[in-house]
Formats: sequence, C-alpha cells, structure tokens
Amino acid sequence: MKIPRLTTLVPVVILVLLALFPLIGIPLNWLNYLFSFFIYLALATMWNLLAGYTGLIMLCPHAFVGLAGYTMAIGTWVGVPFQAGLIAGAAVAALFALLISYPVFRMKGIYFAIGTLVLPEALKAWFSFWRPVGTAYQGGGAGYAVAGVAGFTLGDKYWLALAIAAVSIFVVHIILRARLGLGLTAIRDNENTAASSGVNIFRLKLSSFLIAAFIMGIAGAAYYIHNPRIQPTSGFNISWLLLPLMATVIGGEGIEEGPIIGAAIVTFLRFLLADYGAWSLFIQGIILVVVVVVMPQGIAGLLRQVGAYRLPLRLFKAAEAKIHKT
Amino acid sequence: MEDFLVGLAPPLIKGILLGGLYVVIALGLSLVFGVMKLINVAHGDLVILGSYFAWAVMGWLGIDPFLSLVAGVPLFFVLGFFVQKFIINRTFRISLDAALIACFGISIIVQNLCQAIWTPFNRSLLTDYRLLTFAVGPLTIQLRYLLDFIGGLAVMLAVRGFLRRTYLGRAISAASQNEPVAERMGINPNRVYSFAFAIAMACAAVAGVLQGLTFSFSPTSGSPFLIISFGVIILGGLGSMAGTFIGGMVFGLTQTLGAYFSGGSLLVQSIAPYLLVFVILSVRPQGIFGR
Repeated sequence: MKIPRLTTLVPVVILVLLALFPLIGIPLNWLNYLFSFFIYLALATMWNLLAGYTGLIMLCPHAFVGLAGYTMAIGTWVGVPFQAGLIAGAAVAALFALLISYPVFRMKGIYFAIGTLVLPEALKAWFSFWRPVGTAYQGGGAGYAVAGVAGFTLGDKYWLALAIAAVSIFVVHIILRARLGLGLTAIRDNENTAASSGVNIFRLKLSSFLIAAFIMGIAGAAYYIHNPRIQPTSGFNISWLLLPLMATVIGGEGIEEGPIIGAAIVTFLRFLLADYGAWSLFIQGIILVVVVVVMPQGIAGLLRQVGAYRLPLRLFKAAEAKIHKT
Repeated sequence: MEDFLVGLAPPLIKGILLGGLYVVIALGLSLVFGVMKLINVAHGDLVILGSYFAWAVMGWLGIDPFLSLVAGVPLFFVLGFFVQKFIINRTFRISLDAALIACFGISIIVQNLCQAIWTPFNRSLLTDYRLLTFAVGPLTIQLRYLLDFIGGLAVMLAVRGFLRRTYLGRAISAASQNEPVAERMGINPNRVYSFAFAIAMACAAVAGVLQGLTFSFSPTSGSPFLIISFGVIILGGLGSMAGTFIGGMVFGLTQTLGAYFSGGSLLVQSIAPYLLVFVILSVRPQGIFGR
C-alpha cells in the first residue's frame, strides 16, 4: 500500500478533527467563532488569489457577498429552498463579475481599485430602494429575512462553512500548481512581459475573478444562513472588504498560508474585543497599519524569513523517511 | 417651454452651488494623487472627521463652525504632515499597493474613532443660518449651498495661489508633473508628499464644515464623497484648477438634475454619481486626462 505523504496527511487530519468538533459537544460559542473564521478564511483566500497572485487590488467583495445573500434571501420568498439559493447566489455573483469584467479590466492599478470600489456603493443605493417581492415591510432599506432556515442546525452551518473554506484553500492550492497560477503570477509581476510571452491576460484575469466571485458569493450567502436577515447596509457593508483585506495583509499577501494565519488573528481579535464595539475595529485598523509599516510581508512572510518552518519541515521529512523505511 | 425652464432653474443653481463642496473635497484628494499617484481612500472619512471636529467644538464651546476652522485647519495640517511622514511615506517606499492598504487602515481607524467617540447617529451642524434662504429675482437660493460655492471658490483660489506663488507650492507642482526631474532639481519628494498630505487634510477640515452644514453625517458617510471627488479629479484632470472646478459642477449637476428629471427620486440622486464615475472609467480607463 502506498503511504500518503505527511504534507498531504496533516491537512486531512486537521480537516477531520475540525469536522468532528460539533459532534464532541464543544461550546456553541466556539462553533460560532469558528463559523466566522471559516467564512473570513474563504473570503481572505479568494482576496489573496486576486491581490496576492494576480495583482488585482479588487475592492468589491461586498458586491459579491451582497448579491449572493440577496439572491438567496429573495429566492426563499418565492419558494426556492435556501440550499439551491446558496448556489444560485454564488452564480449571480459570478455572473455580475462576468458582466463588469470587460470595463474593469480596462482599468489599471489604482483606477481598477477605485473602479471596483464604486460598484458595491451603487448596488447598495439600488437595493435600498428595490422591492421585488414582499410587502411594504420588506425590501428597500428594511431588507429581507431568509425564510426556512430554522431546521438547519448550527452544526450543519458549521460543516457548510468548513467545507467552503476547505474548498477555497484547495482551489487556490490547485490553481497555483497549474498553468493558470503560473500565468496569474506572471501578470502580477509584469503585465506587458506576460502578454508578450503569450499569456492571454484577459482570460486569465477573468478566470481568477470569476472563481473569486463565486466562492466569495457562496461564503457570503452561507453567512446569511447563519444570520438570516439581509439589509443593504449589511450585505453591501464595506466590512466585507475590510475583513479579507485585513486578514490577507496581516497574515501575508501572496503567501498561501497567509490568509489562514490572518483570518485566525482577525477572528481571535473579534473574540477578544467583542465587548468594545467600535473600538474593536479601531484597534484592528491600527494593527493593520502597523503591520503594513513594520512587516509588509505579513506574519507568514516574517515566519518564512526567520525560517520558522524549517524545523517542523525537517521533522516531517525525518518522520516520513522513517515510515517509508519500515 | 417657459415652464420647463423655470422648473429647471432651481436644480441647475443648486447643482452648481453644490459643486463647490465637491471641489473642496476633490482638491485635497488631487494634491495627494498628483504627487504620489495614490488615491487616499481615507479622504472621505477625513472630511467626516472634519465635520465631527466642528460639531464637537460647537457643542463644547458654542462657537460657529467656520470660526472653529481657526483651530481645525492647523490641527488637521499638522496631523496630516505626521500621518504622511510616519505611515504613508514608509509604506509608499514598499509599493503603491502597500500605501493604498495603509490608507484603508487609516480609513478604518478614523471611521471607528468617530463612531466610538460620537456614536453612529446622524448629526448635522445646526447653526441658526443653516436653513436660511433668500430670493434673487424669481429664484430662491439656499444659503448653505451658496456657502458651499463660496467655500469652493475660496479654497480653489487659495490653493492655486499657493501652488503658483510659493516655493513649496511650485515644488509640489513640479513633483506632480515630473518627479524624477523635480528630484534632480533638489526637491525632496518625501517632504513634498508630507506637505501635500498636510494641505489635503487642511482642505478636508474646511470641506468637513461645508459638508456638515449641507448634509447630515454619520461616521460611515465618507465613502460617497471619496468616490465623487475621485470622479471630479478624473473628469477635471490633474493640476487643472478650472478642470477641477468644472468637474465639481458636473457632479453637483448630475445629482440635482438626476433627481429633478426622475421626479425627485432619491435612488437616482444617490446612484447617478457612481454610474457617472464608472462610465468615465470604463470609457477612459486612465481618466480623461490620463496619459
């Protein structure tokens, strides 16, 4: 029998352990925080794919989250079960990404950043007035409740979020080891050189944009299963941009494990500062600025620099050699 | 036809006057954008901070918001100088993206500081002249919009005079036109950045007062101003005062005329500037005057 490598075994073991958490009866509060952690992790991983590997400082995750959440919520009002709405929401987010791709990819650098920042603001304004279903008490600024999620337990939501986070990390892992990832990093490093080397810039950017929009959408919709009410000010809230941005930058932009470390820190800070209201985000903002100034590579970059991975990796290798020998 | 024109006059005038407010906000943004090619995404929040400063001083000492600028402008100037020196210059050395993210950090800090100190409720600068109107011929003009226009004109002339007449101002103009050459002429770019950011913040203090008199504000109401003033810059062009002024008017008119032709729809009024920015960017991705 072929023995699997430890580097593949360890993530699988962690995943299984995390999946067992709801069964062994850990405190509900923990499950809640882990749920948020998984959502942030999926968002941050996708933001990292765009900002860290494709060089697209994309500032509209809240457009994808809001659109997906609204699609799911409105769907439950016309009889679509939320499970289908989850996928439909992500598809709508990806469709929106496809629609805006042509104009936004014409913009470069800072123009791209601001061009994408405009979209969620416009959507927020639109959804503040739009009322497709429901009475005068729903829609518009009041938003929609997600109907029919009462039977979905916290454990189910936890597993859903865990699956989304795991898939997002796996997808980025695969992309980076495929031709697509190579092309994306080439675009990030020098767009003109990449183009002259035969990289189809538009298509590659579009693929990563669509993947990110889909997964960000599904993560956002999953959040609104857990908090079953969506308003324009929550769905299109800029915090959906700030969370993945902070997690990625604090953890380490352009490094695969960066968003994992960053999302863990952001979640932990949220837990630590839960009683301090606005001061919580204030302190997170200060941490963000300090990280950008002091260690622009983020925590994962710092860990790599000081060689913190060397010892565990060596232990891994030694253990692996031993297993293969016996 | 005559009815149509008479009906059209109030939103036209209101839009043009409101444009003055956008000019003040855009001037601050454009000074920093000119020298660093960086959009300070915290600029809208800094404007709101200016509004809160005037509001706090008014509630505390009971003095007029315009009078509070005597303290506010120097305070914001110094604050801007040090923010640039200790945060943005350092990140700018790493990359433009790092500086952009640092600006995001500042935006989070300012927004939540306002929220923590002054609660998330809507405020406005309630002076006794806030709602005054007066008649010019057949038209009524609201004083607060006129103040926006006068403020816009005054700040624009002041910045223009500064950029043309003083050494520092010429250094800033030179650095925004061609930085490598300016550096070879003995201009220290880091110093230029610091002063540009300091002046931008002083503009934000003034804009904060005008904004607070015109609209109500909450800690999160800064982002529309960021987007509109960015639109004003790309429409008006960098370094062109007249262009910025016209850009401001266009955005003011977009809002008021959009509302007028849609029968007073708030949706059109709030969404029109965003669409205008997006359309300009899609058609001319580097801005209208970009190279």
